[in-house]
Amino acid sequence: MARFQSPLRWLVTLAALLLVLALALRPSLERSISEPEAPAQPSTPELTEAPSSIDEEPLPKLRSLAEVDLDQAPARRQLDLQHWTTVQGARVYFMRADELPMLDVRLTFAAGASRDEHLPGLATLTNAMLNEGTGERDAGSIAAGFEQLGAEFENSAHRDMAIAGLRSLTAEDKLTPALELFTAVVARPSFPEEALERLRDQMLAGLRFRLQRPSALASEAFWTDLYPAHPYGTLPQGQAESLVQIDREQLREFHQRYYSAGNAVIALVGAIDREQAERIARRIAEALPQGRAASPIADPFPIEPGHRHIDFDSQQTHILLGQHGISRNDPDYAALYVGNQILGGSGFGSRLMEQIRETRGLSYSVSSSLVPMQAKGPFMISMQTRADQVELALEVIHDSLDQFIEIGPSEAELQRTKRQIMGEFALSTASNAAIVGQLGMLGFYDLPLNHLQLFLERVQALSVEDVRAAFARHFDPENRLVVTVGPTHNEAHTETQTETAEQEPDA
Amino acid sequence: MIMLRQSIALTLVLVFSLGAWAQDSQPRQPTHEFTLDNGLKVIVREDHRAPVVVSQLWYRVGSSHEPPGLTGISHALEHMMFKGTDNLAPGQASRLLSSLGAQENAFTSRDYTGYYQILSRDQLAIALEMEAERMHRLSLPEDEFEREMEVIKEERRLRVDDNPNGLAFERFLRQAYMASPYGQPVIGWMHDIERLTVDDLRAWYQTHYQPGNAILVIVGDVRLAEIRALVQQHFGPIPAGPVPPQKLPLELPGGAERQLTLNLNVQLPSLLMGFNVPSLNTTEQPWEIYALRLLRGVLDGGYSARLASRLERGEAIATSASASYDGFSRGDSLFLLSGIPNQSRGVDLEQLEQRLWQEIEALKLEPPSTEELNRVKAQTIAGLVYGQDSISQQASQIGQLESVGLSWRLVDEDIAALEAVSPEQISAVARRYLVRERLTRAHVLPNNPEEVR
Repeated sequence: MARFQSPLRWLVTLAALLLVLALALRPSLERSISEPEAPAQPSTPELTEAPSSIDEEPLPKLRSLAEVDLDQAPARRQLDLQHWTTVQGARVYFMRADELPMLDVRLTFAAGASRDEHLPGLATLTNAMLNEGTGERDAGSIAAGFEQLGAEFENSAHRDMAIAGLRSLTAEDKLTPALELFTAVVARPSFPEEALERLRDQMLAGLRFRLQRPSALASEAFWTDLYPAHPYGTLPQGQAESLVQIDREQLREFHQRYYSAGNAVIALVGAIDREQAERIARRIAEALPQGRAASPIADPFPIEPGHRHIDFDSQQTHILLGQHGISRNDPDYAALYVGNQILGGSGFGSRLMEQIRETRGLSYSVSSSLVPMQAKGPFMISMQTRADQVELALEVIHDSLDQFIEIGPSEAELQRTKRQIMGEFALSTASNAAIVGQLGMLGFYDLPLNHLQLFLERVQALSVEDVRAAFARHFDPENRLVVTVGPTHNEAHTETQTETAEQEPDA
Repeated sequence: MIMLRQSIALTLVLVFSLGAWAQDSQPRQPTHEFTLDNGLKVIVREDHRAPVVVSQLWYRVGSSHEPPGLTGISHALEHMMFKGTDNLAPGQASRLLSSLGAQENAFTSRDYTGYYQILSRDQLAIALEMEAERMHRLSLPEDEFEREMEVIKEERRLRVDDNPNGLAFERFLRQAYMASPYGQPVIGWMHDIERLTVDDLRAWYQTHYQPGNAILVIVGDVRLAEIRALVQQHFGPIPAGPVPPQKLPLELPGGAERQLTLNLNVQLPSLLMGFNVPSLNTTEQPWEIYALRLLRGVLDGGYSARLASRLERGEAIATSASASYDGFSRGDSLFLLSGIPNQSRGVDLEQLEQRLWQEIEALKLEPPSTEELNRVKAQTIAGLVYGQDSISQQASQIGQLESVGLSWRLVDEDIAALEAVSPEQISAVARRYLVRERLTRAHVLPNNPEEVR
């Protein structure tokens, strides 16, 4: 989320440095490889725990446990969600929240990098160019326009979706001009040549910056190998060869085609009434290019398993292991979500965290993630460890996965996770920002308004065998892909292809 | 959705964009303050939008309290706080909280160490009891300690040793703070991490984890009366202990111009410039801190601010350029400028630095326009409203201020304090502080320079 500024500005920024100063030093798992595409169901589960070896762990000796009914689903906020479609075909999701004098607007388009076709980087560049100029204003004037109103503009592009968002105060003299400017930026960007050159240079610099980050290299190799000849296989940030080919006309065409009303989800949360919401949504939909929803992305073909090693001068080796997962609409979503939580998706206490970090001290962070996308997204496990411990780490990961597919979770783990998901749900709807994100997700994947409730019900109905069988069905051990990035040492990687990371063409 | 955790980590250094509540909306969220007999300070803010609550316990100890040889000990202790107490097995409390769907985490900085839980209001008692338990009954088992130190070494490799920009910044800070302990890395030097002992941690825990050295902040769907009883029940029985005196980290007012050249595994050269400046805690004239914040805002308070509009867009001399300043640290602070020159235009680090100096000199001579200042203020005011959307962010702002010895009420006064700064005062702080004898400059260059061209 890059408020107030071009998201590209931060591609190569030194902001990362500040982590050294202000460490949130505990788990803070790196998210560089995870896709924001499909927000994990009830927001992000943080550090969580679900013991594997300590299955039937007795409750701790805390007096307050006697006062809290753990089997009672925690209270949650009542959500009055509303949905309609404008005549232009934009799908609108709205929740009124009067408590704070502010409004969040989030437009989600099927306009991510999976629409790049032969020009990787086109979707990202189009999205980043939105606030670089309209007919009447240049980038500075747009930014000053938002900033003097105290409004925040946000834009980002991912593989499935592209997002443009606004946060504004609801005072009339702030909201009206902020919405007007926002609408112009999203609907009538002028893609000035000067800005194109500048952002292109920034993206090229961003590509160079990636080369010094082993996690970025691992992620790129993983997606490339998992999705050969598929729209998910290219890097959303583009490649030098394609970036230099992109011109204004291509940006315009991409915008005309994919930033259309019929391809848009408009989510609104804040201190406005239904009538205002309808008016705002209608104005935006009228201003956007008119057109239909983009056709869905097709599922990838199965791939050959393999292990790619990329040589990199570092102390640690970054490991990514995974395979094709599911689409967001897969009937096994709830079962796999729960299984992933238990295996490695819920931080501390998940099996992988117990096995890799807590029992063996092999890694600072290890996690598994299920990334359901419009087409089959990846299921992956990531960690980093001192280079000489890679073989051991891989063995533990493979064993944990094999065991999970063979035996499944324990009944205790399943019960804990069911309770956990109920609790997370209450937290995931606590802020307007969280709700507008949920609404965007519902709309983008065309899920019913009561989806969150349905999901909870499905989770509660799952059996151990349901989870095991879903894992076995989707995650054939024969299909695992492994990527390692780190120093090459002698005995390892005998049968793997090795390459070096230093040959990115110069800008 | 993914941002809560990050916001805690990141807000404290940079723009402490004091967003919390505008004057007109303050009654929505009544805030209460009380102190237990053992010295624990408690601040409660009511926010009844959703039936959830965040509890944050802040200890006034961080890397700037660490003597040489013991760097990283605050952070190591933070890790060990999850490894059991008299009544809790290692990791047990975390497993219980997570099974409830609660979020919990911890963070260590230069000035403080914090622990938090976000959970259903009905479950708050569990979090408080657990937190009280580890305030005075931590086990610190030797075998857990040995394993956890391996994890911390992996963490250091990940964040610093294998991250060349992280490494560069660590070296830069060591030079920029000649006298102040802020030059020490929060995670600690590797050679110190390797020689920490569990006895060191025990002593650190005994000294600093006293109720009188902590602040408990609770924000969410709660009422004062119930919280007072709950806090008294769980934290009240903890005996009071001696509270270590706080010595503010002080820096030399004008040590010398310092220069580092670092050849590292970076792909892009970058420039870091840090000026030694005071914080609200160390200045004799509080207006200076607000003026320095506005100065930062004029330079980098958004995409329409000077660095973005002139250096990144206009002349396209920088691929990125930014300014940051934390005026709310415990001790003397840094005003930081950083940037990456635009290589596609053949700009080098010297040219970028010259251009940054031009901006500084221009501000010394001519105060910023009213329009520029209004823009910065408008963002601050709106930020006060937006900040109320997140209970965690509200709690963090309160906790950060209190743990560095400032009052959470400063947030209420923020707008007025910024309003009171005149444009000429902004030029005045630039003239006083953005001078060469306060400057540390680092040039971070790729290992293999010919590859860059």
